[in-house]
Amino acid sequence: MDAFSSSPSSGSPSQQFSASDFKDQLKTQLAQAYAEEFLETIRVKCFDKCITKPGSSLSGSESSCISRCVDRYIEATGIVSKSLFSAQH
Amino acid sequence: MDPSQLQSNELAQFIAQEKERAMVNEMVAKLTNVCWDKCITGTPGSKFSSSESSCLSNCARRFMDMSIIIVKRFQNMQ
Repeated sequence: MDAFSSSPSSGSPSQQFSASDFKDQLKTQLAQAYAEEFLETIRVKCFDKCITKPGSSLSGSESSCISRCVDRYIEATGIVSKSLFSAQH
Repeated sequence: MDPSQLQSNELAQFIAQEKERAMVNEMVAKLTNVCWDKCITGTPGSKFSSSESSCLSNCARRFMDMSIIIVKRFQNMQ
């Protein structure tokens, strides 16, 4: 029996919550928590960098700064991740 | 065999893997956070300058080097 491809429908209709349901749910929740934390970090960083003097609306330069900032932060995450996980001495 | 026993080993292993994955993600996130502040001093541009990108990768590696030194020093004090 291959536990990783367990099909929940192999039993009765009142089958309990299966291992693969649990794994799927856990993965989904972890991914969502990670994404939310990532977004929150970007909000803080880009607000700091781009909105120096909050006005009565977002200016065009503030909006384009924010777009660039988001792209750069995502890129920075990739650079940091790569530098840690590509063995290079 | 009791299927629930098979599952609990498998689940324990799965949880351990996910936990490790989450810890790695957390480390990358923290390093990016810290190194962004150190390296991206001006307004974000449409691409990184080469000094900004090498600062970011150096920063991550030096932080890890530092962590090892800190642990060793701490262990020497025990």
